Amino acid sequence: MQTVTLVPKEQFKISVEAETITPDNFAGKSADEIGALVAFEGNAPLSLSDLFDIKVDGSADAADDVKIEINGNVNRVKRIGEAMTAGLIMINGDVDMRCGAKMKGGTITIKGNVDSWVGQEMTGGEINVQGDASYYVGAGYRGEACGMRGGKITVFGNANDFVGEHMCGGEIVIKGNAGIMPGLSNKGGKIVIEGDTDMPGSEMTKGTIIVKGTVKDMMPVYQKEGIEAVDGVEFTKYVGDVVVDGVGELFVK
Amino acid sequence: MIIKDVLCPFCGCLCDDLAVEVENNKVVDVKHACKIGASKIMGHDRIKAPMMRDDKNGEFREVSYDEAINESAKILANSKRPLLYGWASGVCEMMKKGVLLNEEVGGIIDNTASVCHGPSALGVHEKGLPTGTLGQFANRSDLVIFWGCNPVQAHPRHMSRYSVFNKGFFTTKGRKSRKVVVFDVRKTDTAEMADEYVQVNPGEDYLVLSALRAIVADKADVVPDSVGGVPKEKLVELGEAMKGAKYGMVYFGMGLTQSRGKYKNIDNAVSLITELNAYGKHSILPMRGHYNVTGFGQVCAWETGFVNAVDMSRGIPYYNPGETCSNDLLMREEIDAAFVIAGDAGAHFPAQSIARMGKVPVIQVDPFHNPTTEMANIVIPTKVSGVELEGTAYRMDSVSLRMRKLVDVDFPSDEEVLDKIIAKVREIKGASS
Amino acid sequence: MSEMLIKNATVYDPINNINGDMMDIAVKNGKIVDSVNGSAQIIDAKGRLVYPGGVDAHTHIAGSKVNVGRIMRPDDSRLNNKPRTKVTRPRTGYTVPNVYSMGYGYAEMGYTTAFEAAVPILKARHTHEELEEIPIIDKAGLTLFGSNWMVMDAIREDDLDRLAAYVAWGLLASRGWGIKIVNPGGGEAWGFGKNVSGLDDPVPNFEVTPRQIVRQLAEANEKLNLPHSIHLHCNNLGKPGNYETTLATFDVCKDIKSKRDRQSLHVTHVQFNAWGGNHWGDFESKSEPIADYLNKNDFLTIDMGQLVFGSATTMTADGPVQYANARLLKARWSNGDVELEDSSGVTPLEYHPQSYIHGIMWAIGLELALLTKDPWQVLMTTDHPNGGPYVNYPMVMTMLMSQKRREKEMAKIAELTFERTSIAGIDRELDWYDIAIKTRAAHAKVQGIIELGKGHLGVGADADIAIYDIKPDETDATVEFDKVEAAFRHAAYTIKGGEIVVKDGEITATPKGRTYWVKATAPADGHERMMEDLKMKFKNYYSVSMANYMVQDEYVEHPYVFETGYQ
Repeated sequence: MQTVTLVPKEQFKISVEAETITPDNFAGKSADEIGALVAFEGNAPLSLSDLFDIKVDGSADAADDVKIEINGNVNRVKRIGEAMTAGLIMINGDVDMRCGAKMKGGTITIKGNVDSWVGQEMTGGEINVQGDASYYVGAGYRGEACGMRGGKITVFGNANDFVGEHMCGGEIVIKGNAGIMPGLSNKGGKIVIEGDTDMPGSEMTKGTIIVKGTVKDMMPVYQKEGIEAVDGVEFTKYVGDVVVDGVGELFVK
Repeated sequence: MIIKDVLCPFCGCLCDDLAVEVENNKVVDVKHACKIGASKIMGHDRIKAPMMRDDKNGEFREVSYDEAINESAKILANSKRPLLYGWASGVCEMMKKGVLLNEEVGGIIDNTASVCHGPSALGVHEKGLPTGTLGQFANRSDLVIFWGCNPVQAHPRHMSRYSVFNKGFFTTKGRKSRKVVVFDVRKTDTAEMADEYVQVNPGEDYLVLSALRAIVADKADVVPDSVGGVPKEKLVELGEAMKGAKYGMVYFGMGLTQSRGKYKNIDNAVSLITELNAYGKHSILPMRGHYNVTGFGQVCAWETGFVNAVDMSRGIPYYNPGETCSNDLLMREEIDAAFVIAGDAGAHFPAQSIARMGKVPVIQVDPFHNPTTEMANIVIPTKVSGVELEGTAYRMDSVSLRMRKLVDVDFPSDEEVLDKIIAKVREIKGASS
Repeated sequence: MSEMLIKNATVYDPINNINGDMMDIAVKNGKIVDSVNGSAQIIDAKGRLVYPGGVDAHTHIAGSKVNVGRIMRPDDSRLNNKPRTKVTRPRTGYTVPNVYSMGYGYAEMGYTTAFEAAVPILKARHTHEELEEIPIIDKAGLTLFGSNWMVMDAIREDDLDRLAAYVAWGLLASRGWGIKIVNPGGGEAWGFGKNVSGLDDPVPNFEVTPRQIVRQLAEANEKLNLPHSIHLHCNNLGKPGNYETTLATFDVCKDIKSKRDRQSLHVTHVQFNAWGGNHWGDFESKSEPIADYLNKNDFLTIDMGQLVFGSATTMTADGPVQYANARLLKARWSNGDVELEDSSGVTPLEYHPQSYIHGIMWAIGLELALLTKDPWQVLMTTDHPNGGPYVNYPMVMTMLMSQKRREKEMAKIAELTFERTSIAGIDRELDWYDIAIKTRAAHAKVQGIIELGKGHLGVGADADIAIYDIKPDETDATVEFDKVEAAFRHAAYTIKGGEIVVKDGEITATPKGRTYWVKATAPADGHERMMEDLKMKFKNYYSVSMANYMVQDEYVEHPYVFETGYQ
């Protein structure tokens, strides 16, 4: 097990793009080697050692044996964990946009809040957000047919609009409330919202959305099927979005 | 001397039938334009010379163009996250230079669309845009819907030149050839003159659009009794009218792009129009505000592949509204220098963004005083494009036309200023590499 | 002033009947000359393959449709990203590259001239703005006339001189090179969501038929003695069974003769128009009757419109086809009708080898090329980016040269394809000379630019030269197709107007190319009648003033004006 501890040297204002912070990139490297990896603060290339105090304990041959701990607020550090295939990242603070984008495997746990596009286009792995999430949890990129294709994202707090937009697979659980239009244009996958939400499942063709709280506005394009139990709990089941000949399942408490 | 067929440098209508009388190198009269267009061409007080100040609360001191340009270049060259904003009331030729400057400084270039019709572009990424040129609609539409826009106020000659009153090849009876319907949250002046006004609850246009789509798809049975404040019978009636139109046209504005759902409203409206094309012919058009805001989108797209909000900090164009738009960045206090040209940030940005601009160096390139001037450190006055400078502009329907020069003035053009800044930035960056 | 000598070049220059001769090529002041003096820059081609610079007679590289594609597809622009270099600007895009990538991509493959295939006159200014930004290559645009009100009214009134006068005026207004006709008449019908069903289906409200439009424009074309023939995208594109319309359309121009040494009809991307069957279920290739017709008639030429599996962005003035595609595939759809002139549509698509429909389309393009005996009659194109992006030309070239390469592709294609096509049984393999014809010589001939010094390496030609890192005598293209493809993808040298612009596949210089356009004159009385009609249309129907309509000089910074006409 190789444990890499990163402590941000300052509170960044201008966002830092640090897609080099992944277990894949850190595996088998010394603190100096990790420190030499490049991140960008706006347009200025910096080394990770400019941005973080770095400590390495133990060693690893491959990503799956790497644990990265970030101690401090990295609410202006983007793309942490991008495209990682294995290993663990623990962020003890808030983190910026596109955390875990294109993730293939491994686990990212964020003790604080995440900004928008957490788990964007992810295909595998697990992301746990203990605080709140912003917009586009597990969503796609502009114009792409699919966002999240696999893996699991759990947000213990609230999420903002467009949870799981263009979802094609995988699972998203929001323990708190979600903003407007979760499961937008989704073609697969499962979204569970334990709190309240608004206008779920617009243009859903396939997939499952379960809402345990209240829905402010239902989309006027769903066919009510009746009462159905999911894991022993009764919901009203709807099928739609009828406009797109959708067979998505929407369960509302 | 009367100059005919002049193009108006004000709104997205880009009327090109103006007649301007010029005497002794001064505009003395403007005919055919609406009041606001005429006012712009007649001209008003302008910034006389470049000026600078270190303290935004202090007095400006007059400086030479070279000094202002060199200082601007220094600021931009040394910034980590500079924002180049505006790019609406200038010509395309200078916008190309803006894209190049952004490349040189590794910043973000964004235009006024991000507070206006930017969401329309996001809708286009999702669904496309079934549209055409304004003359197509003028000659053919028999059902005209204004949704969330008020052309009587915002595009005064639109209805007479293009959408409602004019007589076209297939619309020989002018106004009587069309049924006009307005969807809005309140009864605007345009709604007053329409054949029908449909009041929609604020923030519920998306629901109404979805309900209409269900009705058009013969799935009205799932639609509830009332959607968005509109009774189902009314929605069914409207749906049928749309299906029965020979050429249905939807013009839309901020009412859709800036209300709850934003780009999803456009996305949904586009889908409705696409689905209606199974029955008759239907098109949709955003009512663009500034006369060349469309032009920036065109230039930026062919130069970088993306329509606006392009972040060059990593050396390749990156586009992600929600992340790379001006207000996304300003509200997060990320910007360390702002360059505002041919657009008024001060007038249109939210308070938080303006607060941020208050804390960083702001360079303004504009012929006129406006709220942005209040927060500027460097001000560089230039020619008024379309009056004092010729060049290309794109009308709201993406038809490109050439603006005329009517009078001569002794100010540099936006493009000249940008060229000099680019040269100086290169010098500075070359020296440090 | 600058002189260059390319030594030891294995040259294929079909226009000058040079078939693999080892020779030197002398360049001076941007032209090919007899000889140069001792101070010339020497490039030793070391026996490698040398072709004239590539010429693409039909591609969609600039203008409103292309930009609609870019705006709609950030998902495409995020591909193929390259940062700037000392010489190049940043590059983005695969099916809809940004303007810089558009030029660099062609130059890297040894191409030096390209024709934007469809320019709507009202939006021609936009086309030229983009063409001006595309680096390196020489370019031209083909102007849309086939659904135009002025054209149809002149035809209905049987006034050929008025029609010719309008064509001349339209070419000037758009700074265009030739007459482009797309789904004749259909663009107007699409104005109300309809289409025309065939050559004799009259255009609603205009009482002229597609047949008349094609015929009269062809006659006007020859009266004006334009360098290119009419360039035609047939009716019923994309519909199973359309090959009958295609053959009937060919016949329309059978007896039209040109004064120039060229075809009197060029039909484009015929792959999309060589379809049999009645519906998708019995869909099959009808390349054989098309090739048969070509083998019996030399008045026409075609280009392939070859399909390439993967992502494409379809963009065409055939509005109805695009809507139909988008509905079928539930794809994004942009429509762009141009008042009084034409229509257009842009829809992103994916071509899948496991779709037998796409498999058949793939086969048809190759069949057309291989079943037509005369290599000069079938130009290689992919109708970029409709069939696939132009960066795939090298792959298509190897498929024409190697049956094994075709078989490698066929191995991943749905089985049913081979019951509906003949490609599996075709063993013809084109050689280096044939490929030179299909990728430069024939394109130049068809477009009428040989006399301008394009498409060949004879003395007096523009020094547009491609040197590829392959020795034709030592390479068996029928088996070493990967090597051949790699060589065609990244030219060892691309020389444009005597300047080295690509070396070892990298851009080394980015001069601006020229824009070729035609200034034609027509007799005064026809011109007067035309202007009277035109002025009335501007006054009553156009949404812009006539004074603001025409493309101004400022938009064509490096023009080459070709003058022609009749009295």
